[in-house]
Amino acid sequence: MSDERSQPDQPPLSIPGLPEEQIPSRRLWDRVIDRTASLPWWAIILGTVAVVVLYSMFTSVAYQRAIRFLIDDPQLSTEDKFEVVQVVGEPRTITGRYLGTTTDTTETVINLFSWRIVIPRYLKTIDDQIHTVDTPRLPNPIVLIETETGTVEIPEAQIDWMEPADPEVGSEITASYIERITITGTMTEQDDDTMTIRTVDEEQETFATSRILSRESTTLLCDRAANPDCQDREVVTIQRQGEIIEGRIIDPGRTNTYFVTPNLAQSPRVNIELPDGTRREFRRGDLDYLAIPHLVVVMNAARMAEPVQPGGEVRIGFIEGTDITAALEQLDAAEGVPTPLRYTEGEARTVLVAYPDSASALEATSAGDVSGLIFVDDGPSAEFTNEVETWLDNNPDAGLAEPVVYECVDNCQAIAKLPDDEITGAVVEETDDQITIRTVEAEYTVIDKDKIVDDRSKKPGECALNNPRGCDAGIFLTLRVTFSAYALALLIGLFVGLMRVARNPILYAISTLYVEVIRGIPLLVILLYAGFVVSPWLRDNTFLKPDDTSEAVLGLAFGYGAFVAEIFRAGIQSISRGQMEAARSLGMSYPQAMRYVVLPQAVRVVLPPLGNDFIAMLKDSALISVLALPDLLQLGRLYISRTFRAFEGYNTVAILYLLMTLFLSLLVRTIERRTRLPR
Amino acid sequence: MASEPIIQIQNVHKVYRTIRGTVHALRGVSLNVTPGEVVVVVGPSGSGKSTMLRCINRLETIDGGSIIVDGIPLTNAANINKVRTEVGMVFQSFNLFPDRTALGNIVLAQQVVRKRKKSDAMAKAHELLAKVGIPEKADAYPAQLSGGQQQRVAIARALAMDPKIMLFDEPTSALDPEMIKEVLDVMLQLAREGMTMVVVSHEMGFARAAADRAVFMDEGRIIEEGTPDVIFSTPLHERTQLFLSKIL
Repeated sequence: MSDERSQPDQPPLSIPGLPEEQIPSRRLWDRVIDRTASLPWWAIILGTVAVVVLYSMFTSVAYQRAIRFLIDDPQLSTEDKFEVVQVVGEPRTITGRYLGTTTDTTETVINLFSWRIVIPRYLKTIDDQIHTVDTPRLPNPIVLIETETGTVEIPEAQIDWMEPADPEVGSEITASYIERITITGTMTEQDDDTMTIRTVDEEQETFATSRILSRESTTLLCDRAANPDCQDREVVTIQRQGEIIEGRIIDPGRTNTYFVTPNLAQSPRVNIELPDGTRREFRRGDLDYLAIPHLVVVMNAARMAEPVQPGGEVRIGFIEGTDITAALEQLDAAEGVPTPLRYTEGEARTVLVAYPDSASALEATSAGDVSGLIFVDDGPSAEFTNEVETWLDNNPDAGLAEPVVYECVDNCQAIAKLPDDEITGAVVEETDDQITIRTVEAEYTVIDKDKIVDDRSKKPGECALNNPRGCDAGIFLTLRVTFSAYALALLIGLFVGLMRVARNPILYAISTLYVEVIRGIPLLVILLYAGFVVSPWLRDNTFLKPDDTSEAVLGLAFGYGAFVAEIFRAGIQSISRGQMEAARSLGMSYPQAMRYVVLPQAVRVVLPPLGNDFIAMLKDSALISVLALPDLLQLGRLYISRTFRAFEGYNTVAILYLLMTLFLSLLVRTIERRTRLPR
Repeated sequence: MASEPIIQIQNVHKVYRTIRGTVHALRGVSLNVTPGEVVVVVGPSGSGKSTMLRCINRLETIDGGSIIVDGIPLTNAANINKVRTEVGMVFQSFNLFPDRTALGNIVLAQQVVRKRKKSDAMAKAHELLAKVGIPEKADAYPAQLSGGQQQRVAIARALAMDPKIMLFDEPTSALDPEMIKEVLDVMLQLAREGMTMVVVSHEMGFARAAADRAVFMDEGRIIEEGTPDVIFSTPLHERTQLFLSKIL
């Protein structure tokens, strides 16, 4: 391990015989470089990363959003977030035939030739035709009772009492239950007896009145029987013209990024800068059309390669009403333009000649009045191009070259149009220019506090400062899985490592088999085994019911246990045999000698490689995203698939991993230094 | 002094089996040591002296014959820790525990094996460090001690178990000449106090001053034994003469 120490500042420069004032003082930049060079390497990396991250976070909304998403979108507080379970109505009593208790009413349908077999999963039933399946006790079991009107499914939690309490499948039972519903939302007000919860938030949209194509009004009559205070609502349905965006094209979205079947995900993205400087990005597939102007140039074939004398004259024709300045700029930027048109003022005088229509312009070019013609074509219509081609077909002897189309690629004016749509809602505000429509009405539920049977407000809730338990996705899940898997891997590794150095041939064989088998299988395969082979088997055959996270933890721990075991084995074997002999000669038993003499020394030896393994596991925990767990990488991919911001998304994922690993390697180094023996 | 031997070695054979073949390290060694006796074992390297010593506290198992230490036969593993607590051993390479201080080295086995209270074990450790002449090094780690000091801590560590027998396996071979004396002084003192000792060493000075008997071994056999003066000055056996002529 290298031992960097910050070097003392260089002594001030002194040159004999020169007064100190005349020595040039070292510039700030030099001092910064000196100071930086004296820092340890990790401080430089950490500093650079911190600068980059902070800069990105403060300058880019995209990064801010990505980071928020990846750290499970933490809230400041969950205090006004509510999730309560409320009883509804009066207890009801039902009598019927007990069909069993199930946790999963999913039906598997098998089509066998013309036979159709329906197998209710896990359903214990007395029906002769369907076999009885043992019912694993998963959360939220449902009791099935067959009545005259059909099968009733009642969640077990809602049942008040059953008679008999422990019924036989197929027997008559009577059950009393009271319905419960779960209400989730934001609490708006409460008094001693009731509380009001907003279950649906209001949504509004504002747009220009000029986009209205048609509007219809309807009145929604309110159900006075249910609520005597309610009022009728007027709702408008507006056909809107799709938004038209005019601006400069920053990136037209190359069409060659299309796959064979262009779906929306692969559709190239167009980036347009609006006149006010803001930028908007669209998928091309979302747009009705994207109009990018391009140039059509027709040359007199004889003049095409004719040299133009410096100080001479170049005559260029165009059609009246065309934005000729923009066209010439575009021509300047294009490649492969014929020589005469390249001459600008100074070398040769450029004379622009306007013609009233394309036909006369083409005729004049054919006659040699001008060297060439510039048409400005407007995106999708391609009107001019067709016109020119038709004229050339009709005048085969015109002596004109084939028209060349110069497309504008970057930094040119463009018009994009979004598709027309329909919007429905209540008019909130209407001025001459703008109209605001409330598309979603807020909904409130008033709860009688007496009827609340379970308050889950803060338990599963959202990630917030006052509710860290709710933070269970993204970086939090990655950390939690890594830490618990590593703790387990250490335990497995310690025991297997001890077995590897044991004299007992059976223990040695078992541990060697484990190490060799696990090390020879990719971690990804082990994870898939844990998720799709081992844990379903455990669920079906044992009392263990591992959830998704435990599956990942198990897979990672077993995969890494083999490596950790080898580290422990190497560490134990690195301690000289004399240590064991000395301990044994003092009368210690083998376990005592291991415990008090060999292992404490071995742990010091294995600490650096164990730290490396821990960091490696943190990185490999990204593999658990194959088990559909919302870890850092999975959330990153989700973010990217929602926003199409792959660059920012993966950058943020990488930076967050990097920050964690850098922090951990610092921690490992500190522990290593603290446990080093004095010399 | 009791005449009943405290160590009885009867016709012991030891064979090492390695990949390259078998090495017959001990070929019928017999030796009796009475309580309070100091026996010095000499012989060329590979003659089996260390192997014999290691067999006495069963760091090596034997392939033939029998060893009885303090009345307990070293035949099954159950007896072994009992024997080892009575037999202290000092190694050529010290084998101190590098992660514990001198004091910690001496205290550990007392607490783990003898189940002494920490305060008693500490008192004993301080007493022994004073005895071996380095009371001021109690809190030093092995890496901070010189070779001679480490070996003296190792002797103190073995003595802390109150052994009846001390085995020394070339205790001064890894030391600088100027440090040898400090270790030998401690051993000499032990010998005077009546400790039963088996010492593998070529230190003639020590042997003459402290040993009751000297044993010469070669090729896994005891060739000759007698008082140190006889063995070192007027050896009978030709092999002994040859060996001594080389080291003197």
